[in-house]
Amino acid sequence: MKFNTMEYFLRETFLSLKRNSWMTVASIGTVAVALFVFGMFLVIVMNTNRMADSLESQVEISVYLKDDISQDEIEDIGDKLREMQGLESVEYISKAEAIENFRERLGEQSYILTALESDNPLPNSYKVRARVPSLVATAAKVIRQFDGVEEARYGQDVIQHLFDITRLARVIGVSIMAVLVGATLFIIYNTIRLTVFARRREVAIMKYVGATDWFIRWPFIMEGIVLGAIGGLIAAVFLRIAYRFVARSISDALTFFPLIPETPFMYVIALVVIISGICMGATGSTLSLKRFLKA
Amino acid sequence: MIHMRDVCKEYDNGSVALKNINVDIEPGEFVFIVGPSGAGKSTFIRLLLREVLPSSGELYVSGKDVVNMLRNEVPFLRRKLGVIFQDFRLLPEKTVAENVAFAMQVIEAPRRTMQHSVNSVLDIVGLRPKYRSFPSQLSGGEQQRVAIARAIVNKPSIVIADEPTGNLDPSTSWEIMDIFRRINANGTTIVMATHDKNIVDTMKKRVIAIEDGRIVRDEAQGGYGYEV
Repeated sequence: MKFNTMEYFLRETFLSLKRNSWMTVASIGTVAVALFVFGMFLVIVMNTNRMADSLESQVEISVYLKDDISQDEIEDIGDKLREMQGLESVEYISKAEAIENFRERLGEQSYILTALESDNPLPNSYKVRARVPSLVATAAKVIRQFDGVEEARYGQDVIQHLFDITRLARVIGVSIMAVLVGATLFIIYNTIRLTVFARRREVAIMKYVGATDWFIRWPFIMEGIVLGAIGGLIAAVFLRIAYRFVARSISDALTFFPLIPETPFMYVIALVVIISGICMGATGSTLSLKRFLKA
Repeated sequence: MIHMRDVCKEYDNGSVALKNINVDIEPGEFVFIVGPSGAGKSTFIRLLLREVLPSSGELYVSGKDVVNMLRNEVPFLRRKLGVIFQDFRLLPEKTVAENVAFAMQVIEAPRRTMQHSVNSVLDIVGLRPKYRSFPSQLSGGEQQRVAIARAIVNKPSIVIADEPTGNLDPSTSWEIMDIFRRINANGTTIVMATHDKNIVDTMKKRVIAIEDGRIVRDEAQGGYGYEV
């Protein structure tokens, strides 16, 4: 593309946006709102996915050992577990490691453990992972019979329930995002259709003097891209503010809820929202030109 | 330059606009297309511009096969044609010079030749002094002269004019015809559809008369042939 032409396109795009300034502001605003909600659901779905992943990795049996057994007996139990069929991994966690892990999970609130420093209430344990979740119940039942085992616990009911909820959140989130993509496309489609209509005489003359379809199309597509990009940028800024606010309130209330850290996550979301805006802008204006150029 | 063999045009609604048209127009000719309203003159013009396609028959314009042309070749056909309409079709928010330059911009003509070409065609139509005026500040005849400048700025081989004097008074019409005569003298083919008996009779050029979708007369130095 010649520099000359590029300059012409940019000027035409800018003029058209300025000429219909109210229309421009209105459609950027609507696109921003749609992309904000789109981004919000993206953030929710990604966080739920992450929660599901971390829950999935927790489908494991905690084998708590009695406190009064010897080191040899602990190792015997370990050997027996490793010989069992259908288990994927067996990992020993001593009392000391257990309290250290707990301290890490509490993070800033770990001060509540200071009182327990001299008297660790957590037992030695094995973390056993089954090859398939359906084996968990049977394995736990067998392990409970071992000498020296206090209890074998797993949270399968809870986990199944949480899986159902996250799946539902995923389905709802994705459907709402699809609707919002449609709505954004429609807004841009309509805006560009109006600007095409406002400039139909110019376009007719362009066709008579031999402008190619692409030459006619570019300024309108660029206009759509600008609408989508600015709308996306506004949405990204507000998403970041909202996420920071929500993350702060959640981390105070729910220590164990693993919210994805703001950086670099929100940069990725911003990129996704802006690029979606650009793609939808380009698609929306291409659609609105399709019928017009055919004639 | 223009070659039509057995060209028929039937519109989608079933109305037949042209029947078995056979015409050859050589480079440098000046041809009037005459006939009553609704006889098929407009369809004839629209075929040359490839706004519509023939239902059957052969059509070559400026050496190009219009019937079997790909969609993306159409702009390049139109660059060889200069079009002028009864209603001028200028862009009201652009000046005279900008209206003319627009035709060069949209075919991505190099900028360094633009200024020169615009000036020289404005000289041809005698509007160089008014290059900064807007169309609303010009008379009808002046507006049509701007449209002519725009039509010829890309050096087309054929100028196609659809009733170019239809909105103008007789003396202004003659100014326009004088410009056409000069463009034609430089070797550009001119095809002009018109209702103006006086002009056709005086110019003594080739006349193709269309009535009811058929060519009823094709004379080398004809007259309008109808009583008005």
